[in-house]
Formats: sequence, structure tokens, C-alpha cells
Amino acid sequence: MTPDEILQQLTQRFGDAITEAEVKGAEVRATAKAEVAWEVCRFFREAGFEYLNCLSGADWTSRLEVVYNLSSLQQPAKAHLRVPVPREAPVVRTVTDLWPAANWHERECYDLFGVRFDGHPDHRRILLPEDWVGYPLRKDYADERMVPYTEYGMEEKLPRAEGEKPAAKAPPRPAAAPAAAAPTTPPPEAPKPS
Amino acid sequence: MSEMSAPLPVGTTVMMERTGESMEEMYVNMGPQHPSTHGVLRLMLKLDGEYITDCVPYVGYLHRCHEKIGENRSYTQIIPYTDRLDYLASMSMNFGYVMSVERLMGLKVPERAEYMRVILAELQRIASHLLWLGTFGLDLGNFTIFIYCFREREMILDLFEAVSGQRLNYSFYRIGGMAMDFPETWVEDCRRFLEWFRPRLPEYDALLTDNILFQKRVQGVGVLPARTAVEYAASGPMLRGSGLRWDLRRNDPYSIYDRFEFDVPVYDSCDVWARYLVRRQEMAQSARIVEQALAQLPAGEIQAKVPKTIKPPAGQLYARSESPRGELGFYLISDGSPKPYRYKVRSPAFVNLSVLPEMLKGCLVADCVAVLGSVDIVLGEIDR
Repeated sequence: MTPDEILQQLTQRFGDAITEAEVKGAEVRATAKAEVAWEVCRFFREAGFEYLNCLSGADWTSRLEVVYNLSSLQQPAKAHLRVPVPREAPVVRTVTDLWPAANWHERECYDLFGVRFDGHPDHRRILLPEDWVGYPLRKDYADERMVPYTEYGMEEKLPRAEGEKPAAKAPPRPAAAPAAAAPTTPPPEAPKPS
Repeated sequence: MSEMSAPLPVGTTVMMERTGESMEEMYVNMGPQHPSTHGVLRLMLKLDGEYITDCVPYVGYLHRCHEKIGENRSYTQIIPYTDRLDYLASMSMNFGYVMSVERLMGLKVPERAEYMRVILAELQRIASHLLWLGTFGLDLGNFTIFIYCFREREMILDLFEAVSGQRLNYSFYRIGGMAMDFPETWVEDCRRFLEWFRPRLPEYDALLTDNILFQKRVQGVGVLPARTAVEYAASGPMLRGSGLRWDLRRNDPYSIYDRFEFDVPVYDSCDVWARYLVRRQEMAQSARIVEQALAQLPAGEIQAKVPKTIKPPAGQLYARSESPRGELGFYLISDGSPKPYRYKVRSPAFVNLSVLPEMLKGCLVADCVAVLGSVDIVLGEIDR
């Protein structure tokens, strides 16, 4: 099936539950409501997308989002499915029954975003310790150990303690790399194993 | 699985209640400090006598929330962090990352830079596979191959050092090009290396491939059927070792890979042996690509014109490339600001490791190291 055909069938079958849909190159991009997320995933699975490249989350401050990147080993079409979930009760049905690959991805998404996957066979944190508090990839997660972002070259404008000198700027790089004197040679007569 | 979900203290061996016929069912921890787990990975093995009946991997010991760091850095500042993902293939990590940002920006990279990228990434693939081959031999009790592989890897590291000044974390790719051009004699040195390297491959064969003891250890062990491999989204040599001809350099070409002639080695015995052979053959194919790229290397610019502060237009994309371990994906969301709104790494070894329990079930305990070795994990990118 071409991406256009997939898109047509998708909108036909799910109607209003697909809030956004477009084709970009070989990729079908769609946004589906959380209630039908699993059914939409099954539709893609049956349409030949047997390979789950990636499952990840995103935090849009007003809502969370689960993102599925699907592809196939038979056809060049790809799919990019976004499922917004409410921040207060982020729950979506697991897709481990469609793609077992989702198991660890969903655990990671739960670990870092706090999205719950209903029916997951092994719903635990994966990267962080089990007793960790909070979900680090949410935008409102705060940790005093995090280093703030600064524009490159703006280091001297950072607030600093009384009497502290501004950090020295790195000298400019020489324009051309000195050519020769590259001791890279594989030894011409390396010992020959017998 | 459910009775295993409660974690036991590290290093404990617990005798379990006898169930059914079996008299010797027990849990054993392998790792996190174990020489054959290649880093800090902990495997909880459920044993029935000498046989593994279940396995639960515990990861995350190296977790540093790479993705959160990425959200607090500019697009250029992330490049050195990508080195630390898969520290045995930093060039490939750089490659995948800068390529995804360039796609987001719609940026065209100069020809010479593209060739440099391919040459370095393929040398990196050889170096990564060499290290894998050496340590895999070591895992299975063949020490000699380790020394041989490190001899050749050392030469590649020398080449990388001449180019970038670094031996492990290069940070050599830039958004829109490369940091510097090759030094003057570098292309010649690289050719000489390839000349030296090619006849070495039969030496490895003599040491390992034709070694009957080695064959007995790996044949028929850790079977991963093609169907399971696809369901678990295994990639790279794991997929090709299960008989699927799937290589992103060929099936979804990026950069300039469509200009080179190379074969995609595929073996369909689905075991550790097949994955070993795939990696062994890939080294020869990578050498072929480097040779062609060196012959075609054009002169010219190595850096496209990019603004000082990189602000890709708002949008999102998932870009994938073939790292030595499989499909490396970067999922980026840009909101038009100098730092990514969301930065996600789909690390190949993370997904490949998730299929390990499937391969281990029914294996002998002694084969666990061989199966784990054949996945070729790097904890730096698994734990992120």
C-alpha cells in the first residue's frame, strides 16, 4: 500500500478519532485520540508495519504525548503516530501484544514521563532506581544538580560570585591544520604471525 | 515472570522452593560486576540445574538522563555527548546525530564532507567489530584473537587520532560538515592500512572461524528465529544473522551510501555462529566501501554555511542510520529555539538486549556468555 492509500483507509475507518493526518514523503503522520490508540496501532500492524522502530514520549506542558515510529521490512512506507494523553491521568493501552519490542520502550516511557501503559506485562521502571521520585523528562521536573543552558560565548554574562574572574575565552582555532607529522602509519613490517 | 519482578539484593543467590519435578531450580545473579557483561549489566537467571529457564536483565547503572541533558544544550553542544553514547563507535554516533539535525534544517552537506563521513564511519565499523571480535574470543576462552584484533584496531585509532586528535571520543562531525580536513598524508596512510588489513581477515578465520572448538561453542546456541527478531525490532547484525537482508545503508540509503558497491552479508542459521559470521564479513565489506570512497574522494569545501546559532524550523522527525550495532535513531522535536524541545535516542543495543531473554531460554548456563557476547552490547548507549 502507498502512504496515501493508508492515510485514506485510516481516516475512513476512524473518522473523528484521527485529529490530524498527512503524508510527508514516504511517511504517514497521524494524531489519534488515546481511546482508539490501540485500535489504530492494530490497523497499522495489519497494514504491514511489523517493525516498531521507536516508542517515545514528549511533554507539551498542557498534555503528554506518546509517539510511535513504525516501519516495515517489506515496503518503504513509514508511520509516525502521535497519541496525546492528559497530564493528570496519562494512561494508554499497551501495544506489547502487537509488537513485543514495545515492552522496554514503554517501560522507559513510564520511567521518564510517567505515562502508564494499561495491560503491560512487566510495568516497572527500567533505567532509574525503583524508588526514584518523579519523572525526569517532564518539563516541570526540577533538580538542583542540572546545569542550566547558556548560549555559546555568553559565559561571561553568567552570574558569578563576588571577586570571581570571568572565564577565559578559548583562543581562536588556527585556520589550517598543520599537515605533515601525522604518525599514523601502520607499521610497514609488522610482525608476521606464523 | 511475576515472581521475578521483585528485585533481590545484588550478589545474592537464593534457593527457591521446589516446583514440580525439578529438584534444582534457583536464581543466580550474573553481574553487575562480571567481566563478560562488558560493563555494568545485571542478569537475573532462573536456572533449572544447568539450564536457563528465564532471564531478566536489569539495566540503568550508567543512566545519566542523556536526553534531559540534550534538552538543556544547544544542537552543537550535544555532539560531544553523543560520543559517550556508544563509546566504541563515536564516529557513527556523531554521524547519526548530525544527519538528523541536518534533515530537520533541510541542510545540504558538501560532497567532500559526505565522503569523509562515510570513510570515518566505515573505519569505525571495522574498529568496533574488531573490538567485538577480540572480546568475544576472550569470552569463549580464545585469548590469542584478542591480541590480533587490538593490533589492527590500534592502527585505526592512530588514523582517527591523526584526524581528530582523539582516540575514543572524537566529536569530529559538525552540523553541516566536518571539523577539519584530512591531514596531508592521511589518505595514503589509510590506503596502507587497508592493504595491511585485508590479509589479516584470513588470519582471524584461522584462529576462530575454522577452530572446531569455537564452532562447537557457538553453533546452534542462542537461536533467534527471524519472526522473533522482527517482533522485537532487533536490528543490525542480529537481524542479518537471522536471515533477513536488512541494512539501512542499502534499504533506506542515507548520506551517499547508494554510490558504493558492497554486499550485505546474511546468514540464516539464526544462532550465535550466524551473528559472528555476519560481523566477520561486514569488516571486509566496510573495507571495500572505504577503498571506493578514498578513490572517489573529491576536493572542495568540508563545511556548509550554517548560522552561528543553529535554530532548526519547528517540526519533528525520526532519522535512522546503521551503526555497527544496528538501527540508531534520533527523534528530534524542534520548537524553533536554539535547543531541542525533545531529544530522544533509539539506541540499537537497548532494543537488541530486550530480546536476550528469548534467546537464553533453554540454553545452558555456560552458553550465556556466548549469547550475550553475540548481542554486542555497549552499556553507554543502553543506559543513556
